[in-house]
Amino acid sequence: MKNKKARRVIDDYIDYKDSKKLQKFISDQGKIIPRRITGLSAKQHRELVRAIKRARQVAILPFVSEAVK
Amino acid sequence: MATRHYESVVVINAALEDPQVEGIISAIHQSIKTNGGEISDIENWGRRRLAYAIDNAKSGYYLITRFEGAPSMITEFERFLKLDENVIRYITIVLDSKALESIKNAANKKVEEAAEEGTEVQEKSDKEKSND
Repeated sequence: MKNKKARRVIDDYIDYKDSKKLQKFISDQGKIIPRRITGLSAKQHRELVRAIKRARQVAILPFVSEAVK
Repeated sequence: MATRHYESVVVINAALEDPQVEGIISAIHQSIKTNGGEISDIENWGRRRLAYAIDNAKSGYYLITRFEGAPSMITEFERFLKLDENVIRYITIVLDSKALESIKNAANKKVEEAAEEGTEVQEKSDKEKSND
């Protein structure tokens, strides 16, 4: 069965500064979790990707997680 | 002239002493003002761990500024940040209507919470008085 637990986590604006919220959508390696697993809509996923990439630029989120290095 | 809402996150070298950091912060704000921007909100996160090391630094001083200004001022402002050696990272984004709304809501929530806390504190002090 597919895991759709993250479905209703985001209701409106996805803030790129909110590392706690964004952390739920990245894997242990620091990769963005695909939409088929998170169950986000296409629009929400686009916004999420943008937020995560912005967060990475200012070192709020890692490009590659510490554990993998 | 059309203006837009912007939000800037600036990461300052955390190895500096507090007065130096404050000097840089005020210089940044001054730069926004001289370039014709109007600061609406300042959020100061202070020293924070970086998600990855930048020039071997493990932490940085985060400063978030929201301001309103013409699109042409951003190039000048970012040039200023680029020239400052103590600014290790910066990002400026345009706030769309959705973002502005959520910021507004967050601000309202904060005010409400503060108000509730304020009344609670007052009630407590009233009780204390009655105990006396």
